[in-house]
Amino acid sequence: MTAVTGEAPATGSGVLGQPLDSREDPQLLRGEATYVADIDLPRTAHMAILGSPVAHAKILSIETKAAEQLPGVLKVATAADFTDVMPLPCIWIPGGVESHFPPHPYGLPGARPVLTGDTVRHVGDPIAVVVAETPRQATAALAAIAVEYEPLPVVTRADEALAEGAPQLHEAVPGNLNAYWTCGDKDRTDAAIAEAEVTVELDLVNQRTINSPIEPRGAVGDYDAATGEYTLYASTQGPHNHRFLLSALVLGIPFNKLRVIAPTVGGSFGTKGYLYPDMALVLLLSKALGRPVKWVDTRTGLMNSTVQGRDHRQHVTLAGTRDGRITAVRCTSYANLGAYPSTIGPGVATALMGRSISGMYDIGAAFCEVYAAFTNTVSLGAQRGSGRAEAAFLMERLVDRYASEIGMDPAAVRRKNLVPKEKFPYDNGLGWTYDSGNYQLNFDRAIELSGYADMPARKAEARTRGKRLGVGLATYVAICGVGPSTRMSQEGMLGGTWESANIRVHPTGEVTVIVGSASTGQSHGTVFAQVAADELGIDPATVQVLEGDTQKAPYGQGTYGSRSYSMAAPAVALTARKIKSKLIRAGAVFLGIPEDKVVYEGGGVHEEGNEKNAKTFAELAMSMWYGWGLPAEIEPALDETTHFDPPDFNYPFGTHVAVVEIDELTGETEVVSYTAVDDAGHIGNPKIVLGQIEGSITHGLGQALMEAAVYDEQGLLVSSDLTTYALPRAADVPFFTLDKTVTPSPHNPLGAKGAGEIATVPPAAAVVNAVVDALSDLGVQHIDMPLTPEKVWRRLRGEAQ
Amino acid sequence: MNGRPEQFAAQPNELLVERLRDGLGLTGTKVGCDTGQCGTCVVRLDGRSVKSCLVLTASAAGGEVATIEGETTRGGELSGLQEALRQEHGTQCGFCTPGMVMALGELVENAADREAPTEPEIREWLTGNLCRCTGYHSVVRGVQRACATARSAAGQEV
Ligand code: FES
Ligand code: FES
Repeated sequence: MTAVTGEAPATGSGVLGQPLDSREDPQLLRGEATYVADIDLPRTAHMAILGSPVAHAKILSIETKAAEQLPGVLKVATAADFTDVMPLPCIWIPGGVESHFPPHPYGLPGARPVLTGDTVRHVGDPIAVVVAETPRQATAALAAIAVEYEPLPVVTRADEALAEGAPQLHEAVPGNLNAYWTCGDKDRTDAAIAEAEVTVELDLVNQRTINSPIEPRGAVGDYDAATGEYTLYASTQGPHNHRFLLSALVLGIPFNKLRVIAPTVGGSFGTKGYLYPDMALVLLLSKALGRPVKWVDTRTGLMNSTVQGRDHRQHVTLAGTRDGRITAVRCTSYANLGAYPSTIGPGVATALMGRSISGMYDIGAAFCEVYAAFTNTVSLGAQRGSGRAEAAFLMERLVDRYASEIGMDPAAVRRKNLVPKEKFPYDNGLGWTYDSGNYQLNFDRAIELSGYADMPARKAEARTRGKRLGVGLATYVAICGVGPSTRMSQEGMLGGTWESANIRVHPTGEVTVIVGSASTGQSHGTVFAQVAADELGIDPATVQVLEGDTQKAPYGQGTYGSRSYSMAAPAVALTARKIKSKLIRAGAVFLGIPEDKVVYEGGGVHEEGNEKNAKTFAELAMSMWYGWGLPAEIEPALDETTHFDPPDFNYPFGTHVAVVEIDELTGETEVVSYTAVDDAGHIGNPKIVLGQIEGSITHGLGQALMEAAVYDEQGLLVSSDLTTYALPRAADVPFFTLDKTVTPSPHNPLGAKGAGEIATVPPAAAVVNAVVDALSDLGVQHIDMPLTPEKVWRRLRGEAQ
Repeated sequence: MNGRPEQFAAQPNELLVERLRDGLGLTGTKVGCDTGQCGTCVVRLDGRSVKSCLVLTASAAGGEVATIEGETTRGGELSGLQEALRQEHGTQCGFCTPGMVMALGELVENAADREAPTEPEIREWLTGNLCRCTGYHSVVRGVQRACATARSAAGQEV
């Protein structure tokens, strides 16, 4: 990737912005990293979970005697064993915290208990657990637990759950409505639509998808009776956050008695930031049994228990002039939250989606309303690009519909409506204020790089081969850098969303950086070392990075929403600056000169105009450690911490162009080229970000082409393993054509914007736009994802959706 | 097992991956699914890559099993393929990585004696291994790099 614009990154040793090799990779390549499943504490017992086989039923009785008698079984537990444990909290409550505080200190009504006692509400709802000497014994004993169910009617769609007479999930939630949430200006939007020269409408299904990190989740609980301390090892994106939720809100144990450790985590993409029953259960059972308790999920278990993503049914409207000026956009969405409010799922389905719907466009009027409903499905949560991908999808589908309605080129319509450069910071009228952007530059670059102008000729050529070529554009703005804590409280988030970093310079001159964030494969160790090294002017090889253990690291929310580089890395940079300024003050003492004559360079200090009067970084570190001769106002040692709470979010953006070929005979869609130009501000390590962009696009293509969580009428998840749930494989994607623009964010000292998942936001829209383009002469205006060959084949033969 | 004899009594229903991970402590081999789809458990049995979650331990008796632990010594120098994957950042969370390395070994080992594999061939070779992080691009580039290095070391045209 080469930048087509941008300013020089921060000063320093120049290692920031360099494509350094990931220092984490060698260990991973040798298979030596420790994931949860690899943790083997002495005397570990193994837990298995009995999930409900039915989607909705009253539990009449549970008989566990037979299971208890089986070889190796140490304990069988049901809800009756945990009556003093609070339900798992939901901490993102649409509408703001005030409206819910009280009556539910732990979040929303309908919160999930650690084990379900009276009513099961989705297939996989945990009912009982077995702890045994071996995993096989634990699993085998599940079959011996006899549960008597009285079936209840099932509903799996949000719109149907809200209809009169629908099955009711929670007594405390009449009508299954978790939240009715709105943003934007309804009256203005309705008026603009009523007066418009042109309006277009679409009914969209943004299908439910399953994130599917390749490592299933797992947890190990270890209670120490001597100290009363609990340790939880878990595949988590946010060890500190899980510590807070578990200790303060669920188990009621003192904060400082719980330590959470995230070992190497095998991918997450949103799903491992959520609190799950198993995390509490391994701790409770470890205490009960006096042994470490370990649980590792299966793939099918993951599919039936780990939060799922997307799942909106929407009616959307766009209004504009005949000459291509968009004047209003409106969205009514039915969001499927699943059976219980997950840790932050309700916020994903509302604010994260709704406030983004106008994308990169300067629109006079916008309004979004979301009906968030409970149904008999797995709880909804985040999925790579969550909320923002759903928003981009509806807007970018609408823009194409509009372009075709007025007979204008889709690129020309988009170009005409982009927020102009001089309008930043830009209030999008839906609650976000975009920090910075140069959308025209970004858009033009993508159009040029993709060879957009050549498409008509390529379409004609493809037809000679029995293929229909289509081209699809999609632009997006992704809110990242969650977040400014006060702003997040208005959004309904219970919790401080700042990040922190601690830097210790050791007497020998090596440096340790400790952050509250936690990697799930983003090479934090490499990138945070670059940040610290760059600020301090030292070699990154001398910088060690620690994270993922609440006992070592200062508090931080963790990795989600592409926030680590624009939240934790600024904390690192600011901390390094504190170290640097202390070294300048101390340097004046050591060099015997006034402070304004001290030059800090290459990690050391020297006297201005006299390079001989100098101290190297290692010498300074040792002197500071001895602390000899320091005046009273300078404390010895170099150990600084920063808690970074940004003034506002940041808003990366970009333009993607998908080119597909559809086989006329089979209906198969092949992505033949894919161009993406993303803008994530200043990037710390382009090699690592490149990998994240490529992975993100592939993930987005998966939703467009093949992925779907399919529930049948009884609420059974039909696509519950990898034979029935399709993930993109290597042969499903081509190499992509990538570039970037660089528009720094003013909201953090690195000029960084989120990067990790942003490229997942537009691909679904780009591909569906491309396929609709390829079929437009058949009168096709929309096809619901995933674009399976059968679906496309039927449309090729004139069948309606 | 990685060139050393191992003797044990296996249960008739024991899977090779269970023996490797739980019995022998070779945890480099991962379990990512229950249906033989993901490829995180790939090892080599008599030189051919197999999904060890689909092989009964007993049926591997007398065979030669190679796991990721046999590719290098702990902390040791990376193989050509591993080094190429490192340079291309072919791994992110790393959970799919050992399975990928074991699955790709055959392709790269023979690279010096045959035409360099084409991009579609490499992608085809990888279809048994799922990766959710990288989108495979850096892995494919890594294989291309490894094959090119192997070919040029053998004096072949790259
Ligand atoms: S664990 Fe063997 S293929 Fe998935
Ligand atoms: S690197 Fe995470 S699954 Fe491949």
